[in-house]
Amino acid sequence: MATDYPSLFRSEEMSLVQLYIPGEVAHDTIYELGELGDFQFKDLNPTVTAFQRPFTPQLRRLGESARRLRLFRSQILALSPPWNAFDELEEKLRQHEKRLNEMNRSWEELGKRKSELEEKKWVLRETAGFFNEAEHRHTEIRTSFDDGDGTAPLLEHAAEYGTLPGESSLAGFDLEFVAGTIERTRMPTFERILWRVLRGNLYMNYSEIEEPFVDPVSGKETFKDVFIIFAHGPELLAKIRKVAESMGGTLYTIDSSQDKRANALREVAARLEDVDQVLYNMGQTRRVELSKIAEGLEAWRDAVRREEEIYKTLNLLSYDPGRKTLVGEGWVPSRDITAIQLALRRAMETAGTSVPAILSELRTHQTPPTFHRTNKFTEGYQTIIDSYGVATYQEVNPGLFTVITFPFLFAVMFGDIGHGFIAFLAATAMILMEKKLLKAGLDEITETFFYGRYIIVLMGAFSMFTGFMYNDIFSKSLSIWQSGWEWPSNSTGLVFAEPTGHTYPFGLDPNWHGSDNALIFTNSYKMKMSIILGVIHMSFAICLQVPNHLHFKKYLNIYAEFIPQILFMWSIFGYLVVCIIYKWSIDWSQSSTAPPGLLNMLIYMFLSPGTVDPKTQLYAGQGFIQVVLLLIALVCVPWMLCLKPYMLYKEHQRIVAQGYHGLAGQENGHNRVSTSNDLEEDEEGAGQAVAEPEEDEHPFEMGDIIIHQVIHTIEFCLGCISNTASYLRLWALSLAHAQLSEVLYTMTIENAFLFEGNAIAHTIFLVIMFAMWFTLTLAILCVMEGLSAFLHALRLHWVEANGKHYMAGGYAFTPLNFATLYEEDEQ
Amino acid sequence: MGSFLHVVFVGIICAALGAASWFATPRGKNQVLLRSSVLLSLTCCYLMWAITYLAQLHPLIVPRRSDLRMEY
Repeated sequence: MATDYPSLFRSEEMSLVQLYIPGEVAHDTIYELGELGDFQFKDLNPTVTAFQRPFTPQLRRLGESARRLRLFRSQILALSPPWNAFDELEEKLRQHEKRLNEMNRSWEELGKRKSELEEKKWVLRETAGFFNEAEHRHTEIRTSFDDGDGTAPLLEHAAEYGTLPGESSLAGFDLEFVAGTIERTRMPTFERILWRVLRGNLYMNYSEIEEPFVDPVSGKETFKDVFIIFAHGPELLAKIRKVAESMGGTLYTIDSSQDKRANALREVAARLEDVDQVLYNMGQTRRVELSKIAEGLEAWRDAVRREEEIYKTLNLLSYDPGRKTLVGEGWVPSRDITAIQLALRRAMETAGTSVPAILSELRTHQTPPTFHRTNKFTEGYQTIIDSYGVATYQEVNPGLFTVITFPFLFAVMFGDIGHGFIAFLAATAMILMEKKLLKAGLDEITETFFYGRYIIVLMGAFSMFTGFMYNDIFSKSLSIWQSGWEWPSNSTGLVFAEPTGHTYPFGLDPNWHGSDNALIFTNSYKMKMSIILGVIHMSFAICLQVPNHLHFKKYLNIYAEFIPQILFMWSIFGYLVVCIIYKWSIDWSQSSTAPPGLLNMLIYMFLSPGTVDPKTQLYAGQGFIQVVLLLIALVCVPWMLCLKPYMLYKEHQRIVAQGYHGLAGQENGHNRVSTSNDLEEDEEGAGQAVAEPEEDEHPFEMGDIIIHQVIHTIEFCLGCISNTASYLRLWALSLAHAQLSEVLYTMTIENAFLFEGNAIAHTIFLVIMFAMWFTLTLAILCVMEGLSAFLHALRLHWVEANGKHYMAGGYAFTPLNFATLYEEDEQ
Repeated sequence: MGSFLHVVFVGIICAALGAASWFATPRGKNQVLLRSSVLLSLTCCYLMWAITYLAQLHPLIVPRRSDLRMEY
C-alpha cells in the first residue's frame, strides 16, 4: 500500500541515476530539472578546484551581474513585472550601472561643495558675532585694567596686547586671526593642543553650529563648531593652521572688515542657492533612473540567481570536451523517474535539437538521501523531527505520529478551554489569511508562529478538549452534566460535599473547583495520568522499532532488543499503570482492605520482593505476581546485553568458516563491471563517473559491538526509569498553568467584582482590571506558558520517544530547486 | 453510578469509530496520514477521558470547603 502513494511513514525510495546530456541541451536540461525540483546532483569532480571547473567564467559574469543588482537594490525599494532574455539583461545592467555611477559621482561632488559653502556661511555668520563681542569686550578690558586688577587671565592679556597696534582704529581688529570649522568632538583636544603649542599666546573663540552636516555619500551626520583664533605673528598663525588642518578642520579666509564680510556672506549665499538648484535637478533625474531600474529589478534578480544555480550545477557534471557531452549523476525519487524523463524531453524541445539527454539507472551500495514528501500541513511537524535528526533512509518516520501526539502532549500541559480557543482562533486566522500573509511578508517572530500555524491549530483544538477534561475555562469551571457531589444547604464552616450517586460523565467534576482539597485530588489525578500517558507513549515508540527491523530484515533485533525492552518496560511501569487503573476501578468503601499507596507498592516490590502487607494489598496473590515480574525484568537485562553480540559473533564465525571473507567488496566490483559495459568506448568520461567510491565496509569488531550493546542496555534500563519520571512534567506544567490562571483571575477581575464603591468607579475599575487580565492572559498564559509547554512537548518527543527507536542517521535530500531558491531570495 | 463497564463500552465505540475511519479514508497520497491521525486522536482523547472518568469513579476523598454562605 505504501508503495502506491508516497506517505510520511517511510522516506521515499531513491534511485541513483546517470544522465548523458549533449552539450547543446545542457543548459535547458538543468533548467527543466531545477523547475521540477526533484534531482539532487552529485559532485563528479570533487578533486577539481572551483577555478578549474568548465563553467567558471559564466559564473563569474553572473556574479558581476548579481553585484550590480545588489547595488541597485541597495538604492531602490520597488517591485517588478516581467523579464526578458538574459544576454540583453547583462548589457542593460551594465549601462544602468554606468549611468547611475556617473550620477552618484557628481551628486557626491556637488554635495561636498554644498557643505563647504554651508560651512563658510556659518563661519562668516559666527565670526561676525565674535567680532562684535570682542569689540564690546575691548572696552570691558580697559575698565578692568583701570581697576588695577592684576588677576586678569592670560588670554585676555594676549587679546589686549594684540589689539595694541590698532587701538586707534574704531574696529581695533587688524590683529591677525585664523577662522574655520572643526568637528565638535575634536574641539576640546584642538583647544588643548593649541594652548600647549602656543603657550597660551592666543585668543580663541568658538560657537556651535546647530544644524548637522550630512555626508553626501554615507549619509552620516556630523556636528561642527566654528572657531576663530586670534594670535600675533605669522609664525604662530602658521602653527595654528597646521594644527587645525592636522585635526581635520577646514579653514576659511575671512576678512576683518565688516563690509567685506557682508559681501562675502552674500556671495556665498548666492552660490549656495545655485548649488541647491543643481542638486535638486540632479536628484530628480536620479530618481527617474532608479525607478526605471526598479521596474525590472526583482525579475532580474530571480533570473540571475537561477542562471547562477544552473551554471553551478553544470560545474558538478563531468565534462567531456572532445564529445561535447556532460555526464551527471544524482539521486532522484524512484517514483518520479517518469516525470524527470518528461522534463528531459521538454528541455530537448526548448533547445530545438533532436538529441535528448539520456537517463539510466545505476545500481549502487551508497546510502541514498532521505526524502519525505511533506505538504504545508505536515511540513511543520516534520521540521520538529528533522531538527532532532534526519531519518535514516527508509526508516520509520516519527513525524507521521508527531502530527497528533505533539499537539496532544502539549494540550495536556496547556489544558484550558479559553486559552486553547485563543490559540485555535489565532492559528485559524493565520491559515485563512495564509496567501495574503505569505505575500505581505512577515517579521522574524511572526514568521515563526506563521510557520507553525498548523501545529498551533491542532494544539489549540486539543487544548480545548483537555480543557473540557480539566473542566477549566479561564480558571473557572463549567457545569454541564449532573455533578457527582452536592453541597449540603444551610450549613457553614467546614462543609463536606455529599455524593449524589452520579459520576460526572465528561471531565472533572465542577464541584471540585474551589474546594479546599481540590489540589490534592487534581494532583493525584494528573500525576497518575502523566504516568499512564507516558508509559503508553514510550511503549508505542518502542513498538515502532518492529517495522524498522522487519523492513531492514534485521530479525535478530526483534528478539534480541525489542522483546526484552518491551518486557522490561511493562513488567515494571506497565504493571504500575495496570495497578493504577485497577485501583481506580475498585470501590474501596466496600472493600475489606485499605487502598494501598501505589508508589510505596512499587518501591517495596524492589526492596522486599514477595512480601506484601495483607492490610493494604491490592489483590490476592500480589506478592507472587510481583516476584515473577521482577524476575522477568531482571532476566531482560542480560538478554538485552548478551544475546545480540553473541548471535553476531556466531554469524561472523560461520561466514569466516565458509571462506567468504570479502563478500561485500566482490559484489560491488561485479556491479561496476556490468554498468560500465554500456559505455565501453567512453572510458575516461563516463567510466570515471560510474566508478563510485565503495562504501567502506567496517570490519567485524567484537569489541565495538559489545561496548555499543553495553551502552545501549544501560541507557535503556536507566532511561526507562528516568524517562517515566520525565513524563511527570505533564502533571507539573498543567498544574502550574491552572494555578497561574487562577491567581491571575483572583488578582485582577475578582478584585474588581468585589470592589465596593459607587457605580462609576466600579465600572472604571472593572474595565481597567478586565483589560489587565486579558492582556496578561494573552502574554503570560497563552504566549509564555504556551512556549514553555511547547518546549516540554518537544523534549518528550525528542528524548523520551525518539530515543526509543529513531536512529536519525540519514542525510536530507536537497534537490536542485528554483522554487526554494526564490523563497531564500525573498528573505 | 458509573462503572468500569462504561469505560469499556466507550472504548468499544472508539474502536468501532477507528475501524470505520480506517475504511472511510479516501485513497490518495494523504491516506496514511489521515488514518494515523484519526486513530491517534481517537486513542489520545479516549485515554484522557477514560483516565478522568476512572479517577472519579470511586473517589477516595470528598470535596470540602469552608467558604460556603447561608442561603437566604
